Amino acid sequence: MFAIVSVLAIIGLWLGLAFRRFGTRAAERPAEGTNKPGPGAFSRWFFRRVAESLRKPGRDALTDRLRSLASRRAPVLEKWLLVGLYATFLFLAASGFFFAIFIERGLFGVTLLLHFTAGVIFAVCLALTAILKAGRYVPNPGPLSLPAFSGDFPAGRGIGKVMEVSVPARDIISGLFWVFVLAGFSLTVSALLPMLPWFHYQGQVILFAWHRWSALAALLAAIAFADLEFFPRRPAA
Amino acid sequence: MRAAARFVAPGLCLLALAAWAVTGQDSRSAAQGRAQESAGPAMDATAQPSTNGQNDRVKPWDGSRTTPVHLIPLKDENDAPIIPTEARPMPYSARFTCGPCHAYATIRGGLHFNTMAPQAAGRPGEPWIWLDRATGTVLPLSYKKWPGSWDPKALGLSAWDFTQLFGRHFPGGGPAEPSDDEVLSEPDARWNVSGKAEINCLACHNASNRQDHGEWAKQILRQNLRWAATAAGGVGEVGGMASRLWNTWSYVDGPNLDDHEWAVAPFVTYRTIDFDGKHRYFFDLDYRPADTRCLACHSVSATGEVRAHGQPDVHSAAGLKCADCHRNDLGHGMIRGYEGEAADTGNPAAESFTCRGCHLGQDQTGKRLVRPGRMSAPYPKHTGIPLVHFKTLECAVCHSGPRPAKEPSRVRTSRANRLGIHGVAQWFTETPAVLEPVFVKNAHGKIGPRRLVWPAFWGRLDGKDVVPLRPEAVQNAAGKVLRPEASIAQTLVALYQACAEDEMPVLASGKFVFEANVDGGLDASERPSGPEAREASWELRKGGSLVPLIPDFDPASPDKAPDIEGRILSYLQALSLRADSPGKPVVLVRRTLYQFTDGIFDVSEAPEGFEGSPGAGWLVEGKLRPLASPFEVRTVTAKSGTEQTLTEEQVTLILQALAETGGQAAAASGAETEAAPERRSGHGSAPAAASEGREGPPSAPFVYVSGGRLFKLDSRGRLASEAHEAAEPVTWPLAHDVRPVQQSLGWNGCGDCHSAGSKFFFSSVKGTGPLLTASTGSKSATSLMGIGGLFQRTFGLTFAVRPLSKIVLALAILITGALLVVAFLVVIGRLAGLIEKRQ
Repeated sequence: MFAIVSVLAIIGLWLGLAFRRFGTRAAERPAEGTNKPGPGAFSRWFFRRVAESLRKPGRDALTDRLRSLASRRAPVLEKWLLVGLYATFLFLAASGFFFAIFIERGLFGVTLLLHFTAGVIFAVCLALTAILKAGRYVPNPGPLSLPAFSGDFPAGRGIGKVMEVSVPARDIISGLFWVFVLAGFSLTVSALLPMLPWFHYQGQVILFAWHRWSALAALLAAIAFADLEFFPRRPAA
Repeated sequence: MRAAARFVAPGLCLLALAAWAVTGQDSRSAAQGRAQESAGPAMDATAQPSTNGQNDRVKPWDGSRTTPVHLIPLKDENDAPIIPTEARPMPYSARFTCGPCHAYATIRGGLHFNTMAPQAAGRPGEPWIWLDRATGTVLPLSYKKWPGSWDPKALGLSAWDFTQLFGRHFPGGGPAEPSDDEVLSEPDARWNVSGKAEINCLACHNASNRQDHGEWAKQILRQNLRWAATAAGGVGEVGGMASRLWNTWSYVDGPNLDDHEWAVAPFVTYRTIDFDGKHRYFFDLDYRPADTRCLACHSVSATGEVRAHGQPDVHSAAGLKCADCHRNDLGHGMIRGYEGEAADTGNPAAESFTCRGCHLGQDQTGKRLVRPGRMSAPYPKHTGIPLVHFKTLECAVCHSGPRPAKEPSRVRTSRANRLGIHGVAQWFTETPAVLEPVFVKNAHGKIGPRRLVWPAFWGRLDGKDVVPLRPEAVQNAAGKVLRPEASIAQTLVALYQACAEDEMPVLASGKFVFEANVDGGLDASERPSGPEAREASWELRKGGSLVPLIPDFDPASPDKAPDIEGRILSYLQALSLRADSPGKPVVLVRRTLYQFTDGIFDVSEAPEGFEGSPGAGWLVEGKLRPLASPFEVRTVTAKSGTEQTLTEEQVTLILQALAETGGQAAAASGAETEAAPERRSGHGSAPAAASEGREGPPSAPFVYVSGGRLFKLDSRGRLASEAHEAAEPVTWPLAHDVRPVQQSLGWNGCGDCHSAGSKFFFSSVKGTGPLLTASTGSKSATSLMGIGGLFQRTFGLTFAVRPLSKIVLALAILITGALLVVAFLVVIGRLAGLIEKRQ
C-alpha cells in the first residue's frame, strides 16, 4: 500500500504544482484561451511543457537555473551544509523509495549501510540548517479573526465564508520548510528509536512504518518547497 | 485288565487334555470379550481382529483424559493367544496384540516407520551414517532423497542389510518389517530365521522403567528380530541367538536339539508375575511417552561434557515433555515443529507447534492465524531487535544449540555414534565427528543452525560423479593394507605365549609403545621417560620399565646368560604358531642365526652375505625380514594418538589395489540395482554399466573422499587431492537444546553477532575424517550462510561507532525538536495575535 500511495502522491503533487503554474499563468493572461482554463487546456499545456523540458533548450534552461542556484553567494559553512543536506536527502530518498517500492525485501546490504550513514549526516545537516534558516522562514500567519455575531445570519452564506484566509506564497514556502523540518525530525526519531532496547516487535513494526510515512511526507514537502522556492514562475511580461 | 488300563488311562488323559484345550479356548475368548467390554463401548465383541491385525473401524475417542488400563491378552504373529506358562511360547506381536484397538496399518505410515518411503518428507533430518572404521567409511544414507545423502538401495543395501546396520536404533517397522514380496526379493536375507521386527509400541509408550533400549540393540544384533520387542520391553526374557543358526532354520523347527550351548534357537520366558489368571498381561503405558523413550534415539551430547554440569532444554526445564509439542494422532505423523511443516505435510495443526506458532501466534508468513500461548508459552518481546532478524533468521539461530564459537563444537548423537547401548562393553563411537552449530541458509532463504558431518568413503569416478563402493569391496581389494595393527597384534600375542606372567611383549616406535588388546588390535601408550625410539624395537614391559625382547649378547661367549638361548627357543616356537606368518621365524644375534630346521633347534653362523638386522624376524627367500614390516610400523606409529584410521600411504596402496583389480571386487559386492547411485544433490547419474555388477572401465580411477577433499592418484601414481561435490559436508537442522533467554544471542547486545571478529559470521569448520592428512577442506560461516563476508566484516566494524552515531542523532533530534517547538509557539502566538505579524 505504501508503494501505491507514494507513487500516487508524488504524481498527484507534481500534477498539482503543474496545475498551479498553469492556473497562475492563465490568470495573468486572461485574453489567451478560454476564460476558465479546463482539463483539456491544462493537459495540452502540460504535455507541451514536458516536451519542451525534454528538448535541448529546456534542458539547458534547467541546467542554467541549477548553476545559478549553485553559484549563489553564501558563507562557506552554509554552502557546504546545504550541499550536504541536499545530497544526503537525495540519496536517502532515492535509495529508500527504490527499495521500498521495487524490492520486496526492502533495504539491505551495502545500500542499507550507506543509507544509515547518510541518515546521520542528514540529521546533523538538517539541525544546523534549521538553525541557520529559521529566521528566513519564520512562520508568519496573521491573527485569526472571527466576525462579531450580529444575530443575523444571512441566508445563502455558507459556513465556509465565515472565515476567509488569504495565504501568500511566501507563507506557503515557509510552511513547507517547517513541514520538511518536522518530517526530517520524525525520520530521525524513527531511525534512532529502533536502535534502542525499548521497543518490542510490534513497536519495531510501528516505528518502521512511521519512518516510511515520514519519508513520504518529507519528500512531498521537499518537492513542493523546491518548486516554489527554487523554480518560481517568472511573471508574465 | 491291566493291559486295558494301560490303554484306558492314557486315553482318559488325552480326553481330559482335549477337553481342557476346548474349554480353555472358550475361557480365553470370554476373557478377551470381557476385557473388550470393560474397555468401553467401542471395544465390543464384534470388533474382532482380522487375520492381519488391522481393525478398519475408526474408534473415536470417548473424551476421557485417562489412559485405559491395558490388561490385555498377548497374541503372537500368527494371531494365536500366548499362554505364558506353555513350553516355548512365541514372542508377542504388536500387530495382533495392540492392533485390535489401534489400527496397525494406519500407524505404520507414521514418521518413525516410513523410513523407506522415497518421497521427501518435509525438511531434511539426520541421515543414517554407515560407519566402517576399518575402511574409513563415513557414508550418509537416506531413502528420502535428502541432500548430501546416498540412497541405500542404489548402493546395494537390502532391507536386511539396512536393518543389520541400523536396527539398533529403530523403533521397529520400516525396513525391519518388509513385505512378503520384499522378503522373496532378498534371497540372501535371513528373515525366515530372524523374523521381522514389527513396530515396537513399547519403545515409546512403555511407562515401565524396564524398557531397555540396550536390550533391543542386543537382540537386533543377535538377529532375534521377532523377539526384540518382548525382550526390550521387559515382557519376557529372551535367550538364544538367531545369528548362529543355519540359514534354513525357522521358528517352526523348534529348538536346536544338537546344540544347547552355542547355536541356541531364540526362546522367550515370560514374566508370569505380570500376567493375571486369564493370561492377560498388564502393559504399563503412557499416552504421551516419557522423554527417556525419545532420548534413546534422539540424544545429543557434547563430547567431553560432564553430565552433571549439562543444562536441559528450557522446555524440559519448564515441565514440558517432548511429546507435548511433537505430538501426533493415530497416524503417528509426528509434528516436527519447523516453519513450513503445515504446508509440507498438509497438517494445519503443525502451524500451532512451531516456535512462532506457540510463542507469537504467527504462521510462517507472520500472520496472526494461530492462537498463541499454548502450554503457557511466554510471549517474547524481543525489545530492540530490528525486524530484519525475524525475516532472515530462524528462531533457533539465537535460541538453540551451543553459542557460536571460533569452531563448531563436537557432539555425539544416538544414531550416528551408537549411544545408549549399555552393558559390559560400551558400544558408542567417537566417529563420525558431528559438529554443531553451523549456520546454513535453508530452502526458504532463512538461516538456521545445523549439525554437520564430513563424509568419507571409497568410490569410483564416473565422469564428474563418484559412485561409492561398499566397505566389503574395499576390504577385499585392500587385504592386509587395512590391517597393520592386526598383524602386529598377532605377533605380540604369539610372543606373549613365551613370556613370564609379569612380562608383556610390546613394540616401541617413536614416542609410543604398542601392546595387543583383546579386540585383536593395539593399545598405544606414551613411552616411559627416555629418548624416542628411532627404530622400532620389540621389547618387554616388565614392571614399569621396558627391556629388550632379545638383549644383545655374544653367542660364542661362555659367560652369556644361561637362559637366553632358552628364551630364544621359546620365542621361535611361539612365533611358528602365528597364523599368516610371512616366513620361518628366526633370530639373528650378531652373526649367529637361531632357527628351527626340520624341527630341530639350530644355532649356526649366518651365511655369507646374509641380509638382515639383529633380532627376531622372518626368513623369506634367504633374507631376514623384520617381524613387522616398515609399512606396518610407520602406519601404526603415525596414527597413534589420533582418531584417524588411515594414512595417505594406505590410501595410495588401496587405490592402486583397486585400480589393479579393475573394480572387480568392488563390482562383485557392489550395487546390483538398475539405477546408478546418485548423491541427493542433483548430481547426474552414473552410467548403468558401473552398477550392474560388470567390470568398470579399466581406466576408471578410484578415489577416496575424506575431510572435504577427494583423493586420487595422479599420472605419476602419487596421491593428489581436490575439491569435489561428493566431498561436501552433509548438514541437518538442529532445534534443541533451547537455551535460556539470558544465554540467547543478542542478550548482550548487537555485539553478540555483529563485530569485525564475530564468531557467528567469521568462524569456519575444517574438514575432519578418517584420513590422517594435512589436506582438508574448510567451509567458512559466511559461505554456508550464503552471505558476503566482506560486507559483514564492514558492517561489523560500524558497530564500533554505533554508540557515537546514536549520540549524534540524539543531539540532532534535540536541536531540531527545540526549533520545532519554538516555531510552533510562534505560530500559535501569531494566530492568537500575541505576536505581531511581520509585514
